Amino acid sequence: MQPAIRTENLGKTYLSGFLRRPFVGLEGLTLEVPAGVSFGFVGPNGAGKTTTIKILMGLQRATAGNAWIFGVPIDRPESRRSVGFMPERPYFYEHLTAWEFMDFYARLSEVPAAGRSARIEGLLSRVGLERFRNVPLRKYSKGMLQRAGIAQALVADPELVVLDEPMSGLDPLGRVLVRDIILEERKRGKTVFFSSHILSDVESICDRVAIVVAGALRGQGTLPELIGNAATTSEITFRGAVEVPGAEVVRQDADSRTVRVPCAEVGAVCGAVLAGGGTLVEVHRNTRTLEDVLLDEVERARLVNEKRLGVLA
Amino acid sequence: MSRIWTIATATFREAVRDKVLNSILFFAVLLLFLSLALREISIGDTEKVVRGVALGGVSLLAAVIAIFLGIGLVYKEIEKKTIYTLASKPIPRWQLLFGKYLGLWITLAAEVALLTLLYTVVVGAQQGLPGLPTYVSMGMLMVELSLLTAWATLFSTFAAPTTATAYTVSIYLIGHFADDLRLFGERADPGPFKTLLGVLYRVMPNLEVFNLRTEAVHGVAVRWSEVAWSSAYGLGYTAAVLCVAMLVFERRDFK
Repeated sequence: MQPAIRTENLGKTYLSGFLRRPFVGLEGLTLEVPAGVSFGFVGPNGAGKTTTIKILMGLQRATAGNAWIFGVPIDRPESRRSVGFMPERPYFYEHLTAWEFMDFYARLSEVPAAGRSARIEGLLSRVGLERFRNVPLRKYSKGMLQRAGIAQALVADPELVVLDEPMSGLDPLGRVLVRDIILEERKRGKTVFFSSHILSDVESICDRVAIVVAGALRGQGTLPELIGNAATTSEITFRGAVEVPGAEVVRQDADSRTVRVPCAEVGAVCGAVLAGGGTLVEVHRNTRTLEDVLLDEVERARLVNEKRLGVLA
Repeated sequence: MSRIWTIATATFREAVRDKVLNSILFFAVLLLFLSLALREISIGDTEKVVRGVALGGVSLLAAVIAIFLGIGLVYKEIEKKTIYTLASKPIPRWQLLFGKYLGLWITLAAEVALLTLLYTVVVGAQQGLPGLPTYVSMGMLMVELSLLTAWATLFSTFAAPTTATAYTVSIYLIGHFADDLRLFGERADPGPFKTLLGVLYRVMPNLEVFNLRTEAVHGVAVRWSEVAWSSAYGLGYTAAVLCVAMLVFERRDFK
């Protein structure tokens, strides 16, 4: 089966200013998004996420490398035949009502006339905009526009849904809605590729993740592959005047104390607490999060950059 | 073809809901009515003065509408970032641009048809129904507007509206003074300036070939061969400018 997205050494160099100075927006990105997964594309601001998405969506041309969507080179418009896309901070025709707007994109995506109206009605109701179907988009709030944008991306029932920062600007209810839509689409066998700053959402809904920092890919894989399962330390909270030699006290409250110990010693420490007449309140494994991995990669990229600048100096 | 038509109808719908466009159209209608009053205050062949001013006013305001719509045709999509969802659809960019141009053309055709109808009613009520030359001159005005909007479309693919307006207005002015440009070139001393004028005359459109208003005002019989040649020239030139616009748009990055 063809991967939903494949890129090979994809790069983009912008020429900016009067002197046309080169600025590398993306460098040697080699990525594979298997079909049927939800794929999170994470990285700090200016990392190259939106640039990658714009290249894939035919909005910008790569200055290096190649990319394919379901095996079709992206320089051919047909590569986007089965793709639904919502850009970051979606902007739409303000003079159109939600229904006209959906109808416009449905026609452009060649959704057959039979069933087009039902599809539009269904999607507007799915994103909670059915009551506002005849309201011009200029009267919509930011969150409502985001919902309309997602409905638009799904109008042709695409095999691949590309969402650029779909959670930004949404209230908690809107975020849950987007999360549910992504999970539903994946359940239906569709591929969802999205970028996000909200790493907890990425952790909860993604099968695979790619991390991009300073225009370059820093890692990709499943969450366990990226984060690692091994926790090195645990935190034990207990009540009672029990001393735990060698343990780092993290918090001391009036009636409880929290200590940090190596994972290997959790059993021994818990035994000592109970033997000393104490009561265990909580044992928590300190596993790494996607945020830790991302921050490490940002730091690594900074050090590499400093080293490079040092060599140049 | 259906996608081109979808984009064209959406462009038409956007234009007719544009308040600025409707204001300009309102002024064109107002001018038509005001021209009637000239019969009372002018001397000589007053009916011709009315016809001349009314037709001239319609042409000028139609050109203003064409420039106003044309310069924002692509740029507005880029500036408002609506291009992101549009250009990411599986549509070749040339089709996208052609659809936008077609929508604009339909809007202009509707405006010119409306103004022609009003001219027929308003001037007709005062002077009797206008003859065939009036309608032919309106047809030629549409050819001129097609060409002018093609230039505006080209400029809107790479320039901001202010710059695009300056460029398009320059084309409009140069186009209407093309014969003077040729005469000036013929009389200039040989040298680089004469060559420049010669090149300008050949490259810039001659918009005066579409001006049949004098014939319409004076009721001169239509010379069909001239109309055919002018139309072919206008449509050929329009196609060439649109092709360049498509090439520019094809290479454009949307940041």
